[in-house]
Amino acid sequence: MPPGLKAEALAFTYPGMLDRPLAGQFGPLSLQLAPAECLHIAGPTGCGKSTLARCLTGLIPHLYHGQMSGTVWIGDLRSDQTPLWQLSEIAGLVFQNPAAQMLAPTIEEEIIFGLENLGLPKAEIDRRVDQALERFGLGPLSGRAPQTLSGGEQQKLALAAVVARRTPVLVLDEPLSMLDTTAAFEFVAHLADWVAQGGAAAVCEHRREYLQALPDLRTLSLDGRPELAHPMPALDFHAPEPRACRIVTKGLSVARGGRTVLHDLDLALEGGQVTAIVGRNGAGKTTLLRALAGLQPYQGELAAWVDGRSETPHLGLVFQNPDLQLFNASVRQEILYRLPDADLELYHSLIAALDLEHYQEAPPLLLSEGEKRRVALATLLIRRPRHGVLLDEPALGQDAAHKTLLMRLLGAVARQGQVVAFATHDIELAACADRLILLSPEGFVASGSPEQVLADHSAWDRLGLRLPDWVTPCPC
Amino acid sequence: MPLLSRGSKKQRDYRPTLVESSPLRRADPRVKLAMGLTASLAVMLPLPGLLVFLAGYIGFMAWARLLPMAVRQAWRLRWFLAFLFVLDVFLVNWELAVLIVLRLALLAGVFILLFATTTPRELSQALESLRLPYRYAFSFGLAFQSLALLDDEWRAIYEAQRSRGILRLDRDWRTLLRQVGDLIALTVPAVVLTTKRAWSITESAYARGFDAPHRRPYQPLKLTRRDWLLLAGVAVVAIAILGQARLPAL
Repeated sequence: MPPGLKAEALAFTYPGMLDRPLAGQFGPLSLQLAPAECLHIAGPTGCGKSTLARCLTGLIPHLYHGQMSGTVWIGDLRSDQTPLWQLSEIAGLVFQNPAAQMLAPTIEEEIIFGLENLGLPKAEIDRRVDQALERFGLGPLSGRAPQTLSGGEQQKLALAAVVARRTPVLVLDEPLSMLDTTAAFEFVAHLADWVAQGGAAAVCEHRREYLQALPDLRTLSLDGRPELAHPMPALDFHAPEPRACRIVTKGLSVARGGRTVLHDLDLALEGGQVTAIVGRNGAGKTTLLRALAGLQPYQGELAAWVDGRSETPHLGLVFQNPDLQLFNASVRQEILYRLPDADLELYHSLIAALDLEHYQEAPPLLLSEGEKRRVALATLLIRRPRHGVLLDEPALGQDAAHKTLLMRLLGAVARQGQVVAFATHDIELAACADRLILLSPEGFVASGSPEQVLADHSAWDRLGLRLPDWVTPCPC
Repeated sequence: MPLLSRGSKKQRDYRPTLVESSPLRRADPRVKLAMGLTASLAVMLPLPGLLVFLAGYIGFMAWARLLPMAVRQAWRLRWFLAFLFVLDVFLVNWELAVLIVLRLALLAGVFILLFATTTPRELSQALESLRLPYRYAFSFGLAFQSLALLDDEWRAIYEAQRSRGILRLDRDWRTLLRQVGDLIALTVPAVVLTTKRAWSITESAYARGFDAPHRRPYQPLKLTRRDWLLLAGVAVVAIAILGQARLPAL
């Protein structure tokens, strides 16, 4: 029988976490994935999808200690009794955080690494590298260091490096999270072709709509903790003195690594509005946020206007990688760090609004990616940045309910007159903003209310982004 | 409109990048390892011998088109070298002070000789061909590559904490204690990130068949005639150094 996956009464708990409400553990489950089948693994943030992906590829129990019960069969090999290298030739895994898995100094070498381990001759490796670069549109980036790529480009590279190994089974942990919609549709189409040719795929993903093109898609739901069973709390976020801010740029240009990333941008971000910035992978969204936050050297002019006076902009930025911002022993300590006269009312309001109440005493770095992002946002809002907040890919790792929570909170912050802007590939989330901006490497393509921009199909064509047909403006 | 303006600020970057134009770039990495080791041996030379070696070494680095980068690297150490020089002049004598400073400058040049002409993959291949087990050679290559990332990572953490509103930019000595405390905000994420990166890379490597017994290098190393010539030259220099060196009495 050709290889597939099978798990019987599988359960896993990380050591020392038996009685703690932390992410990544799941109860006994059984599943079967035959060749030419595709399985969607769904569930709320922190329910254990990434842990299950590791079990299904043998990394658990080979690399992780913990309490595992049940058995996993990868092809006809039992995962706990077979060397990992042998399992990896049947089931390939793409991890959730692509930046963390890059181990080579160039794009080509990143792909070559896995092919060398298969013992392939040089000519075959060259052929597969070329194919992978072309399939994922990485050819123009050839020769660059993986660390210099945008999050979306890194995700394409991570997929290319695993897909080039042509394992009969693929396990993908949120493969679409950092891809723009065009790249996401293209990848799903490739995956559908590959499944049609007999491959088996298990995909952990919050955005199920994109997987519709996969034939005979089955869904396995991991329950985790009840998904926001409690009623959403009343949100009470007050700026000390609500003022209408405005961030204005004139002729803003940024060069990074010898490349011009942003060129001559004129932009006005209004306080009181939540603005979403959407663009293709590598369009310069992160660079724009960094420049607005004062972290990126730039040419041109940038100012905050408050009550007719210009000030140096003071905007907090939640980074794409929240690990950079978290370092305390508990979520509570993290949020209240160095705030001797902290507004405890605001603290309780924030942790309720961000669904972090269960984790107050948990170490923030042990939370799931989505939860860490919410903690990082809370650490910023408790300090009340003078002019507002910026968020880089806030939807990563968030399920639908938590995205709604997030938009509610951002709306409340904006209503205090503050500037709120976020960069995202999640068009559904962007459609919930008050204003939507389409950014290309050449500049702004469109700007307006989500209704206007979503209806402007020529703008999406110019941007090269495919607009999913299920996206509609949704005032969250 | 009185908008605030900020001109382009260049971030200084001291990381050695590959010098593709260097004649040493295409040399076998094992030869470059031998060159580095031999140049490091020169720290055992007495001052006159070291001066002669340095003169030759500077000429060699100029030929290899690496001299500007080596000078920049030594310049980066200027305050440290100046401090050591003054300390040695006061505590011992000027001769030892000059010797120590020249030795350190030489080692900075050796670092460039290797890092500016060799990729991590080439280095780990060289170590593997010298019979170091693959898993150790691979780890060594990764560590070599990570050196370049440390600076980026430190900067990213600094920016992230600044953006969070924790780090202050004032340089007032009265806030020194607070700034020392800020180091926690930088150090903990740095340690966590380094540990996590090491772990993620381990996972990523194993998930792509690391340690497979049938692994075959993409481009096996092969010594060319030019490599043999360079190696012969290195051997001659090494013998000369060992002949002149002040070896500790057995």
